[in-house]
Parts: sequence; structure tokens; C-alpha cells
Amino acid sequence: MNEYMEEHRKKHGRRMDHEERQRKKTARESHKSSAVSQKLYGIKAKLHHAKRHSEKVQLKKTLKAHDERNVKSKDDGAVQEGALPTYLLDRENQRDAKALSTSIKERRKDKAAKYSVPLPKVRGISEEEMFKVLKTGSRKSKSWKRMVNKATFVGEGFTRKPVKMERFIRPMAMRYKKANVTHPDLKATFQLQIIGVKKNPQSPLFTQLGVLTKGTVIEVNVAELGMVTTGGKVVWAKYAQITNNPENDGCINAVLLV
Amino acid sequence: MATALGGFKAIAPVPSASDFVDIALSSTQRKLPTVIHKNFKISRIRNFYMRKVKYCANTIDERIGKILTEFPILENLHPFLMHFLNILYDKEHWKIALGQLNKARHLVDQVAKDYLRLLKFADSLYRAKQLKRAALGRMATILKGQKNALEFLEQVRQHLNRLPAIDPNTRTLIICGFPNVGKSSFMNKVTRADVETAPYPFTTKALHVGHTDYKYLRWQIIDTPGILDHDIKDMNVIEMQSITALAHLRAACMYFMDLSEQCGYTVEAQCKLFQSIQPLFRDKPVIVVFNKVDIARYDDLTDENKAFVDEILAQPGIQSVSSSTITEEGVMSVRDAACDALLAHRVEQKMRGSRIDAVANKLHVAVPKQRDTKDRPAFIPAKALEKKKYDKEDPERIRLERDDEVAMSGLGIFTQDMKSTSTRRFWSIPIQLLIYLAFPPLAENYILDDEEWKYDVMPEFMDGKNVADFFSADIAEQLSKLEEEEERLDGEGFYESGDDEELNSEEEEIADAAAQIVRSKAILKQKSQAKHISRAIIPRKAKNVTLKQFTTGMRDIGLDPKHLERRAAVLGEKDKAAYDAYVKRQEAKEAAEGKAPAADGDVEMQDVAEGPSGSARGVSARGPKTNRQFAGMATDAQATKAALLRKFAVREPNRMARASESDRHIPITRPKWMMSGKRKQGTNDRR
Repeated sequence: MNEYMEEHRKKHGRRMDHEERQRKKTARESHKSSAVSQKLYGIKAKLHHAKRHSEKVQLKKTLKAHDERNVKSKDDGAVQEGALPTYLLDRENQRDAKALSTSIKERRKDKAAKYSVPLPKVRGISEEEMFKVLKTGSRKSKSWKRMVNKATFVGEGFTRKPVKMERFIRPMAMRYKKANVTHPDLKATFQLQIIGVKKNPQSPLFTQLGVLTKGTVIEVNVAELGMVTTGGKVVWAKYAQITNNPENDGCINAVLLV
Repeated sequence: MATALGGFKAIAPVPSASDFVDIALSSTQRKLPTVIHKNFKISRIRNFYMRKVKYCANTIDERIGKILTEFPILENLHPFLMHFLNILYDKEHWKIALGQLNKARHLVDQVAKDYLRLLKFADSLYRAKQLKRAALGRMATILKGQKNALEFLEQVRQHLNRLPAIDPNTRTLIICGFPNVGKSSFMNKVTRADVETAPYPFTTKALHVGHTDYKYLRWQIIDTPGILDHDIKDMNVIEMQSITALAHLRAACMYFMDLSEQCGYTVEAQCKLFQSIQPLFRDKPVIVVFNKVDIARYDDLTDENKAFVDEILAQPGIQSVSSSTITEEGVMSVRDAACDALLAHRVEQKMRGSRIDAVANKLHVAVPKQRDTKDRPAFIPAKALEKKKYDKEDPERIRLERDDEVAMSGLGIFTQDMKSTSTRRFWSIPIQLLIYLAFPPLAENYILDDEEWKYDVMPEFMDGKNVADFFSADIAEQLSKLEEEEERLDGEGFYESGDDEELNSEEEEIADAAAQIVRSKAILKQKSQAKHISRAIIPRKAKNVTLKQFTTGMRDIGLDPKHLERRAAVLGEKDKAAYDAYVKRQEAKEAAEGKAPAADGDVEMQDVAEGPSGSARGVSARGPKTNRQFAGMATDAQATKAALLRKFAVREPNRMARASESDRHIPITRPKWMMSGKRKQGTNDRR
């Protein structure tokens, strides 16, 4: 509707040298784009180059695909590894079960396996980094108060202590209730409620304060996922380990410990 | 396009999602400062990054807001436009797209809010930067989620801008009917819309608008795509456009029929379609147009078909007109019939409405109540009644100038004699015509005191002057006034000069004294002016200087003018002898004539003196013969003066407290330790 360009073309046709001009235009295209990419600078150049790069990668991929299509390679008739004869095709997949059992066995063998986590080592965090000293008193001469400078989890029923008693302040802005938890097997991520902090590897004090840093093991509510124990009970909570620096990213990413 | 589709504002292009991200991020980069260092104050670092997050969110917010305001809300539009857009783009889809954008805007604002709160606790440049990055990244992700909505809106915008400008409120004619019955051809004949026509059905796929003029009014004609006779649920988008136009526009409907059945539909089918879309024609003037009469006319129909057609025409308020777009027979009459019908309909509707009362109330013809039985007819003067009514045929009618015009040549040229007609009587008619063209017939209508003056020649120039320049309408009156005044003044004795009176002695004295004062004042003035010499001064060289003046001057500066005096004496002697001889000759001459000799004068000296000779001073036994310090000095006074001058010339320049010329040191003008701070005893201004 209202395709006025098509309409005009229908009525009057194209100009006589249209094909020629089109050909020249495409021929000139590469020169033009090269001139542009040489001339650009700053953020525009950055964006442009990123775009060009991805285009080129795509181009190379297609070219390669085309090349491969044309190459006639001899089918060596080699049987693929793990291929099954037809009479075994409807059998249960033994190999997977075997792999599972071997992994379980290996885990058992490894004594530390019970405690193995995706992030076994963490960077040490000093108290200076963790806490900010707050000066108190009318002369601001006292400095016994601390503000936690990292993301924290604060339980639901928490009420702050009176000002004079409160040694550690956990700012509202950096309190979190939810974490993005990835199920390592499913490769899917869910936003789950945090139930509590199991252990902060930095120090028991941080665990007590509910500080969420990289490597901290938290307990998350997995009721939504509908996990079932071998006994047939619904799993309510599970542990997960934080994989990012929440104070830098503004969110909590974690891996479920299966 | 300033307005499209009945007054929409032109909508600005909607960027695609990736463009949107680029726009927001690059404008954040371009418009804000980019240099920050980790050793800056932490508050400065925080502000730097907080500003970035805020700005980016604002940019996105504004851009989305602009899109949201520019796309019209369908419910607020005219029902026709609303339904039309609903058919084209689906109202739900439209709403969802805009709603999603609105939600995205809120999400972006929320992200900005959250991250600004976090940034307040950032304690290092790294952390602040990471937080900013996360914030902008999340905003970009939200925008990427709007990819489909933005794409849809951009397509709609492009389409919307190309839609024809249909004004739902003006005088409108709608052309409708089966496909291929010649609707677009008729449109092309009546307007300049240049709609595409082709001999296959559904050539027209959209509404087309053209305009035509009738009765000095502008008429909007809408060409609709063909409609097939089936249920409204089964109709496709193309047909639905026609239906919306018919349903929601208050216009005259022209139902086109092809009696020749060349369109591929029988007359019966066409009549049936008319019946089925009849509800849409309610309250509208309807004209049934038999098109293609060059092939088949109403009279050519079979009785069966005639019955179908008659059934339609039998309905009240339905006209039928026939036309052919090929032979152009009746095309204009179709248009005129439709326009007239619509005009009448609109007037009727207006009369029916309540708004007419507002105007009608103002129109009131007052008729006085009958007071008594007395008859009071309008007064017409007897003379007016006497006056004969002008009748063109009457040979004794009042002769008008128009009659003269007709008599002369009849053409639009109208002239009459300027001055005397008698002179032109002998001229041939063409020459008379020419003259008439040049001079309008005025003279005979002049109103003057004397009839005979009418044809007098009035000069334009007299004595080389333009008469009009000196013309004054009331010249006679002015002249008489002046004369009157003159007489009066003369009578009052204004022009008589008074007799001289004699002065007495006292007054004479005073006059004398006054004259003396004036004279002496003038002398004083002259003298004082003489002091200020403004004329050229004669140079000394050109002045005559006496010998004595010259020699004393030389002696004053310590030079000996003896030889000058001697030479002057010698020259004087010589001159004297010559002079004496001359005088004698003169005397002899005058003796002969009998006259006395002239008096003697000073001898004048005009030679320039020679330079002074250096004198030797301060002689010692073994020292130099001359003291060259005083060489050229004639007197002691000169020597002392020279010494003084020398001393002055070689004096040391003012060093301005600098060690040497190369000293460029700028001393501290206001030392801080002196100017600030409190002292133990009192303030610093009490030391």
C-alpha cells in the first residue's frame, strides 16, 4: 500500500543507466567503507570496527562453508565412535550410567570431595577494605564504629540495635535478598531467594555479619525448581557459591552446589 | 510531510534497538567528561560515574518518552481514523508495543536508581567504574529486549507517513462497488489523483484521496478498493478499508455498477452486494452510478436484471446516474449529482441539529404589533412615483452613457467627447475613437458658474511654470482677506514713520561718552589681539641687526669681535664715500629742482660672524699647553655649565632597587606570614 516508488517504477520504468550505476555502486562500496573506517576516530571508530569485525567473521565463515561444500572429500567409511548396532539401539544407554557411577566412585575416593566447591580459593580481604571506619562522638574523635563496605545479607526479622550499641552498620543500599543461581547441569539460571549465609571463607565474623563476597557459600530457596531427594522429598533449600564480586556488579551470581 | 492522515504530526524515525543503544551510550560518552584518575578525591570519582549513569538513563528515558508521545493514542482519534489504523496495524499490537516501551523506560529508571545508590558506597575508582559498567550494560540489555517493539513501530511510522491525508470532517464523496467496475478510472477523470488503474480486480489495494472543485468548494473524493459480497468476518484487510470508510465517514456514497457485466460479476450479484452493504448507507446520500454506458445502458438490460436494479432504485433517496469513463459521458454529471446531494444533506443535517439555533436566534425580523386599524403604508414621494422606470426598449428613456458606448462601436471601449463635440463631427469614426481613448469624457459634466467655461482651454504651463504648483482652491478668498488686512493696517497708521525728536545737551554728553568708551574698547581689543601673534615670525637671519647688537652678543659668549669691528669700519668708510658722492649727486639734482637732502641712517651689518677661537687656559710648567677639557670654552661660565651638563649626562640610571640590569627578581609583595593568621597577642593588624 502506498508503495509510491514501486508505482513510479511501474509507470515510468527505471532510468536507462540503472544497471550500470548499480554495478558501479557495488564496485565502489569497498573503497567507500575503507575510506570511512580510516577516517573515523573515537567512540564511533570503536563501534564501527566492532561491527566490521563481526561482519568479517561472518563473511569468512560463509566463505569457508562454501569452500567445504565444493570440496569433494572421500567418505572413508569409518564407523563413528560409540555407534551402536541397530539391534542395540533401543537399549538403555549404558555408557551414561557407567560414567555417572564412575564419577560417584571417584568422588568418594577423593576425601575432600565432600567439601569441594567450584571456587576453592578466594582472594583475601583485609579489614580496611571490608570496613569503613566511622568517626563518632560530638568531636568525631571516637572511631569504634564500622560500616560494612560489601554486599550483605540481612535476615528478614532483623532490627537495628540502638545507635550506641551498633558496632557494625550494614547499609540498606547493599543488602540483597535474591541471587541469580545457575544450575551447573541444567545450564540454566534462576533468580532465587537467599535464606542465609552458610560460610564466608574470609572470616567467621563476616559469616556472622552475612557479608556476601566472592566464594561465599549461601543457602538458597530452591522450592521453585521442584528438586526431589532420592527419598522422594522435595528439596527446599540448597547451598550455592557466589561467583562474582557483588559490590562491583550490583547483583549476586552463584553456582548451585549439587 | 507536515500532516498525514487527518492531522497527525509527523513522527520522528524510531531507531532500532542496537541503534538505540549506540545513541544512548555514545551520547553519554560525548557529552560528559572522560578524564578521571584514581588519585582524585573519591567524591569526585563517585560523582563522575554517577553522572554518567544518570545521564545515560535520562537519555534513554527522553528518547522513549518522545516515541510514546508522538504515536497517537487510538482512542482519542476520529472513529474513522481509529478503525482505519486498527485494520492496518491491529490496535492490540500497537498498544502492546507502546506499553512495552513504557515498561522498558521504567525499568531503565529503576536500574539507574539502584546503581546510583550503590555508587554512593564505591570506595575506589575501580569499583565505581565496574558499577557504572554494570549499570549501562543492564540498560543496554533492557533496550535490546525492545527490539521487536521498536521494529514494529518504525514500520508503522513509515507506513503512517505515506498514508493519504484523509480529513474525516470535510465534504467527502466515497466511491465504492465491486472490483473492476471502473471506480479508479472515474477517480482519475474527476481528480488529479492519478490512481493506478488496470483491467484486473483489486488493482486498488488501499484508500486513495483526490480533490475536486465544485461550486467554488473543495471536495474530497475517496477511492476505495472493491468489495466482494461476503460476510464481514471473511473480509480481508483490503476490503475492510472500504468498509471502514463507508461506515465512519459522513459522506455521499457513489455505488458503482457495471451493467455490461464485464467486471466478471453479474448485475444480480452487484445488486445483492448493494443490499448487503445497505446498512452502511444509512443517513447518507447514495448515488447509484451505472458505469460503462458505452457498452451497456440501463435500457439494454434484460427484464430480469432490470427488476433487480429497479428494486434498488425503488428505495427512497436513491438517485441513479449513468456515465462512461471512456467516452467521458456523464462523468461530470455524476460528480455534480453526488456533490449536490451531499450539500443538500449537510444543510439539512445542520438545520436539524441544535447548533443552528445559536445562529438562527440572532436572525430576527421585528414586525410591530397592529396598534389600530389605521393603514400606514410606506411613504413614497410623488416625484419618485412620477419618475419613469427605466426601460431599455423605450425610445424616450433617459439616455445613459452606456447607450453612447453601444452607439459608438459596441465593444467594451467606452469614450465620449472631452471638449467640444462640434470639432470632431467631421472626423472619421476611427480617429474619433482614438481621441476618445485618450481623453475621458469629462468636460460636459463639469459644474461651473458659467456654462460657456466648460470647453475653455486651461493651460498647464504658463511663463515656464507649472500652473498646478501655484494653484490654490481658495485663492480668491485668501486674496480678499489679505487686502482687507492691508486696508485695516493702513487705516491704523501702521506704515507711517515717526518724526525725529531733538536731543538736549545732557543726552548729547552721554552719547559722546558712550562713543568714546566704544572706541577705547576697540583699541584695547586690538592691542590685546596683537599680543597673540598668529602671523609668521621673521627669522633672525632675515632681521636687520646693528653692529653693536652683534658685537655685544659675541663678547658675552667670550669671543673677540675686534676684526669684525675693523672690517665694518673699513666698509663703513667705503660706503660713506660712496654715499657722500651719491648725496652730492642728489643734492646737485635737487638744487636744480630746489629740494632738501634726506636724513642719515645707521650702518647695517649683515655679515655672519666667524666661529670663536679656542683660548688657552690653566698653563703649567710641564703639562700640556692647552687644557683640552676646556677647549672651545670661552668663559668660565661656559665651562661650569658644560661640567654640569656632563655630570648630568653620565649620571647612573635609577636601578629601582635591583642588583643589576640582569636582576629580574620579583619580590613577594604581600608575604603570607605577614598578612594572615592570628598571633599570640592579638591579631596581625595590631602588631
